[in-house]
Amino acid sequence: MSPNVTLPDASTPLPMAKDLSELFVPSMRGQLKSAFKSVMGNPTLAMINMAGGVPHPSTFPIMQLRATVRSPSSPSAPLNRESTLELAKASRSQSTESLDELLQYGDGCGIDSYCAFLRRYTQRVHRPRYADWGVIASCGNTDAIGKAVSLFCEPGDSILVDRWTFPGALSSLVSAKVLPAPVPMDGEGMIPEALDNICQTWSGSAPPRAVYLVPTGQNPTGTTMSLVRRKAIYAVAQKRNLAIIEDDPYYFLQLPPVPSPSISRRGAERSDQAQHLVPSLLSLDVDGRVIRLDSFSKILAPNLRCGWITAPTYILDKIQILNESTILQPSGLSQGLISKLLNDTWGFDGWEAHLRELRAVYTLRRNLFIQAVDKHLAGLVEYTVPTAGMFLWMKVNLGSAAADPTAMPRLLGSMKKCGVMMAPDMPFSSTGPSASLEPATDGTSERYLRAAFALVDIDMFEPALKRLAQAITSVSGARSETSCSPVTSPDVVRSDTAHLDVNNSTF
Amino acid sequence: MDMPAKPQSKDLSSLFTEATKRRRSSPLKTLLKYMNADPTLVSLGAGLPHPDTFPFISVTATVGEAGKSAVDTSAQHQDVTIAARAPTAATEGLERFLQYGNGRGVASYAKFAQEHTERVHAPLYDDWDVVVSAGNTDAFVKALMLFCQSGDTLIVDEWTYPAIIETVGPMNIGLAPVEMDNEGIVPKALDSLCENWSKSNSGRCPRVAYMIPTAQNPTGATMSVQRKQAIYEVAQKHDLVIIEDDPYYYLQFGEYKAAVDSGEAVAAGGRYDDLPGVTGLIPSLLSMDTDGRVIRLDSFSKILAPGLRCGWVTAPKYMTDKIQFHNETSVQQPAGLSQAIASKLINEHWGHEGWERHLVQIQRDYAMRRDRFVELCQKYLKGKVSFTVPSAGMFLWFRVLLREDVQERPGVMQEVFDSMIENHVLLVPGHFFSPLGATPEVLSKPFVRAAYSYASIDDFETAISRLAEALAPFTC
Repeated sequence: MSPNVTLPDASTPLPMAKDLSELFVPSMRGQLKSAFKSVMGNPTLAMINMAGGVPHPSTFPIMQLRATVRSPSSPSAPLNRESTLELAKASRSQSTESLDELLQYGDGCGIDSYCAFLRRYTQRVHRPRYADWGVIASCGNTDAIGKAVSLFCEPGDSILVDRWTFPGALSSLVSAKVLPAPVPMDGEGMIPEALDNICQTWSGSAPPRAVYLVPTGQNPTGTTMSLVRRKAIYAVAQKRNLAIIEDDPYYFLQLPPVPSPSISRRGAERSDQAQHLVPSLLSLDVDGRVIRLDSFSKILAPNLRCGWITAPTYILDKIQILNESTILQPSGLSQGLISKLLNDTWGFDGWEAHLRELRAVYTLRRNLFIQAVDKHLAGLVEYTVPTAGMFLWMKVNLGSAAADPTAMPRLLGSMKKCGVMMAPDMPFSSTGPSASLEPATDGTSERYLRAAFALVDIDMFEPALKRLAQAITSVSGARSETSCSPVTSPDVVRSDTAHLDVNNSTF
Repeated sequence: MDMPAKPQSKDLSSLFTEATKRRRSSPLKTLLKYMNADPTLVSLGAGLPHPDTFPFISVTATVGEAGKSAVDTSAQHQDVTIAARAPTAATEGLERFLQYGNGRGVASYAKFAQEHTERVHAPLYDDWDVVVSAGNTDAFVKALMLFCQSGDTLIVDEWTYPAIIETVGPMNIGLAPVEMDNEGIVPKALDSLCENWSKSNSGRCPRVAYMIPTAQNPTGATMSVQRKQAIYEVAQKHDLVIIEDDPYYYLQFGEYKAAVDSGEAVAAGGRYDDLPGVTGLIPSLLSMDTDGRVIRLDSFSKILAPGLRCGWVTAPKYMTDKIQFHNETSVQQPAGLSQAIASKLINEHWGHEGWERHLVQIQRDYAMRRDRFVELCQKYLKGKVSFTVPSAGMFLWFRVLLREDVQERPGVMQEVFDSMIENHVLLVPGHFFSPLGATPEVLSKPFVRAAYSYASIDDFETAISRLAEALAPFTC
């Protein structure tokens, strides 16, 4: 049960990945031992296995697992329909393991049928260009980021990251004492020339060996790299011999350009039909320097805690060992349900239909949100229309208050008073202490807010943005004090977010 | 009756590593003051997917009857269903289990762990707390990293769980093994290790001792309450933190009584009427911890199923907070489906009482296995091995009684192992469990570990007679 290897197609022999193990931190370079293998043995059929210290499956009280899922519409069944999938205690169902297997201890690679689907799907979507790639199960990208980073960075090392980036990654770096080296961004994300320049002029002791980036629907800026941009970033990585950690949870949430001038709900749904996804960095990777992190969090559900990592197998072997000294593998129930759903219930066609429906949901939300921003915030904010993901990153026009370090806290206070909240920029900043709401130390007085348009009730878009306009004008000096129109009565406000604690994972 | 107020835990945070001190709550917590419970506030802050995009409408687990074996055809199965948008008084709706949350897990799951810990361990200090984990392997690393960093040393049993050894190696954390007897780690040996540390070592004195007090892996040793008290006193004397890794705690099943006939016959004879359940268990180290120096790791792996990847950690709150933050930069929390089924099953269907009946059933299953296995060992392996009969867990640790003429032969234990393979019976060589690694001295130690948890009971006799044959060339 090693990471799933795809053998090269005989007709088009692919090269092997380059050996980049010299980029590993010293503790990862040697041969690491799998604790799992050392106590499980490898019994043949005739062997009686008294080695594996695992519980007997007769003690597992779960006899059967059933899930009812909403399946995407298809030409034969145009309306959303319900499907039921079942996993039985002791017998395999089609391609998926029995519950007893799913619920037993396993190695750091993940359940076979789960990984097999993802291997085939990766081949279909990304068509890796070297032979010895594989996939391994992860329990989501936050965990996978920490593991990928730990291969290349030890305390005191630096890693190249976007100027604005995912707070969960930043927190992980802070506690690992790995220093983020911010790379400037534009409307397409990380700027290749800037990346190259930072490497060129690096004056620290250890030049960075890895770059972490979110190429699609970037959190928080919402930017998506074009194919040209991706090729340029990859070329810099080759030139500077960098490993690329491609954190891509929003890859399948690529959204079409905003149709203008008018937006209809039906139009949003139709426009996706022929959409092509921008190729991933993985799909450009001839060397085997991309470690791609995929997650089911945004495309099935976050708390399945399931994702997968694609990379050369010698790198996955290291991740396997790291898994075996931490999570072992994702929950067997999550892997089993996903495997059953994707392998047997939906197949590729159903899965892609599901992804299309998701894109339609988020396209509609994005379009209506942009429409409401243009209506209520003209002149108060600037933004690039996101073509993927869940976020709109707005540069706030704070007018005469722009240079005032208290402007942001005052804006947030004013927003609270008016009854609207968004994420301020500082927690996403890779340039300095992100705990504070104070402005960046890079001399710019630009301030941003990140709006997430995925969760809140669509009917609340307009009231929310109207409130934001009032809050901004009250701080920017256009008006002397905060004046808010009366907030809507509580009964029209959805309580979806009421129970949510604020933390990195929810941002 | 008014209980006297419990004391607070001793503050050991000065022993935290620098990384632990840096580990903090999300910077976005600073937003909380702007996001109070105002119901009219519209939040566009949280980057969560919309729950309507989750395709799962309901999940149903058919579960066995608490207290009856999975193979018992008279057992009444019941359906445990978690449905979207259908929370109950005790548990959340499915969409809540499937949404992002913080490093504390879903409330109803965490609440069970808290209540259960109060019921079973009744911690003696006031500010104890539980935080969810994705199983004890993950929890161990997080507990370890509170206090240990590169260059530090962890105190471990003379023989210990291989995942611990493989984990600390790449972290550049050293291991200091302590002598064991048939009750596990020897208090005097632990005391003298700490006492003499500075004389024989240059590095910082170890601050953390890792132990598996119940059915230790691999030796099967279980600490008596007196042993635990003695160990706890040594920990107090040297200001040690104890990581109490206790996944086999509920698999205690008492002393071995000589069998009448086979496992099945004795099972029918009411021989398993006095199993400990949850009230008759040997008190944990946590339960005697007055200072808050025990970090206890509990897991559902051996009492529900390992694939759930679910457990919990009990420690003073200032430590569980750090583990929560660590969760939030790694696993976030255990999988929602696993938490949902554990929570719904135990909180709503079984209750604490059904949960106890379930545990008694598991104790009975493993007691029968232990009894049958020991009975056969006594029958076939007399003079070939010695062992302490385990009173809990899954393992039996054999000392192979090598004949005098082969004892000193280099590589003889490898020959023994090869002979087992030739005879088609697989056990784990003792050196896999040595914190010292495969040194010539360790390789020559005559130990092998048998697990009686997994193989079919019907295969036991064949396995043990094969083992007898495998050992014959090396023993009297």
